[in-house]
Amino acid sequence: MALHESEAIVLRTYPLREADLLVTLFTRVEGKVRGVARSAKKSKKRFGGALEPLTVVRAFYDVRERNELARLDACEVLDSPLSSEVSYLRAVALAHVGEVLDELLPDREANDAVFRLALAVLGHLRGREIWMPITYFQLWMTRLMGYLPDLSECIVCGRSLNGGRAFYHVLADGLMCVDDKRLASSELSSDSRMLATQMFRAPIDTFTGVTWPKELGADLRKLLMQILQRHIEKKLTTAAMLEKIDG
Amino acid sequence: MSKFAEPMTRLIDELKKLPGIGSKTAQRLAFHILRSDDDDAEALAAAVRDVKASLRLCSVCNNITDVDPCVYCSSATRNQRLVCVVEEPTNIASIEKTKHFNGVYHVLHGSISPLHGIGPEQLRIGNLIKRVEHGQVDEVILATNPTVEGEATATYLSGQLRRNGMKVTRIAMGIPVGSDIEYTDEITMLKAMEGRREL
Ligand SMILES: [Zn+2]
Ligand SMILES: [Zn+2]
Repeated sequence: MALHESEAIVLRTYPLREADLLVTLFTRVEGKVRGVARSAKKSKKRFGGALEPLTVVRAFYDVRERNELARLDACEVLDSPLSSEVSYLRAVALAHVGEVLDELLPDREANDAVFRLALAVLGHLRGREIWMPITYFQLWMTRLMGYLPDLSECIVCGRSLNGGRAFYHVLADGLMCVDDKRLASSELSSDSRMLATQMFRAPIDTFTGVTWPKELGADLRKLLMQILQRHIEKKLTTAAMLEKIDG
Repeated sequence: MSKFAEPMTRLIDELKKLPGIGSKTAQRLAFHILRSDDDDAEALAAAVRDVKASLRLCSVCNNITDVDPCVYCSSATRNQRLVCVVEEPTNIASIEKTKHFNGVYHVLHGSISPLHGIGPEQLRIGNLIKRVEHGQVDEVILATNPTVEGEATATYLSGQLRRNGMKVTRIAMGIPVGSDIEYTDEITMLKAMEGRREL
């Protein structure tokens, strides 16, 4: 039995028995770890607000066997979502980041690139602007998980899509040109393809400071959600909640 | 084949559905009921039936009650123009224990919870908005939990209520009485600082 220490993001908590919480952490050192926080439900003394979802913490935990639940010993808050105003919009965006990470990451497999992405995105989810960080997050997450198809050529004929129109379909593995698109395909605008290219070249800070309406990149986000949900073979609750937000 | 006679198995299965009751406890309770005299068993059955038959939500505040409006909403001595919003009916007991709150309540029966697909549309706030719009309220105190979900709920409600020019306040968050500042986590400390008052 060894005490592990890692920077971590709290993804989810579930009540367990009378007084305990089952906590899913995305740790920097060993990826997604599930652990039990004893008495955390009954008494706030030991963990305080540290187990609120999307809190960045320094976690101390014991792992006995690889496949067993860890025992969460202590959590120091490094950054709490409660340190800035929690609007409904922001609550949905935060929950979305948590749900996507929880559903896509495998257990006990470190992924520093995803961890850095999550930290950067959380850092930008502070005010009322959520669509830029959410788009950036979904795009990079899809790419880092290895699910993103080439956005520059048709998967059917291999022709370059640059300068032309591009389409996607829920059952197709990539984009299609106007000649090869299937029935009931959706279009991915060239502006959104350009946006994706820019987002792959520059850090998230580059995109701050401009107002970002919901329509901006909406087709791209729809494509990304289709891809991610196809891979996990289920609907994401928060994707539907984001969809419903107006403006 | 089951270990017990059919009626016993059925009782055990029903008891097992209760929170915190496992197989062992359910068996123990079932045998206790079997051994108890007829009057006690009958009283238990009647109490279970009555709680479902006679309890409903107060049409004014959504509190669980057997009379409508509930005791708080129909009280002549309480300030009906001061409304404290809570997430669950059980929260009322905690506030009543202080013996210092003389207003009335509004129960949301939950909070905004995006992970569970619960948005503002699912909150029971229609009758609260109506009370405010009809000019029946001077101040709304938001006493939702100091969690991300409780905060999102409070922020949303405050936006809706302020539209009607309502005075909206949020209960203070901070350091528990009798504890030590040295052991306070930074987020609690930050909230305590934000909620400071002049002496
Ligand atoms: Zn083609
Ligand atoms: Zn009432």
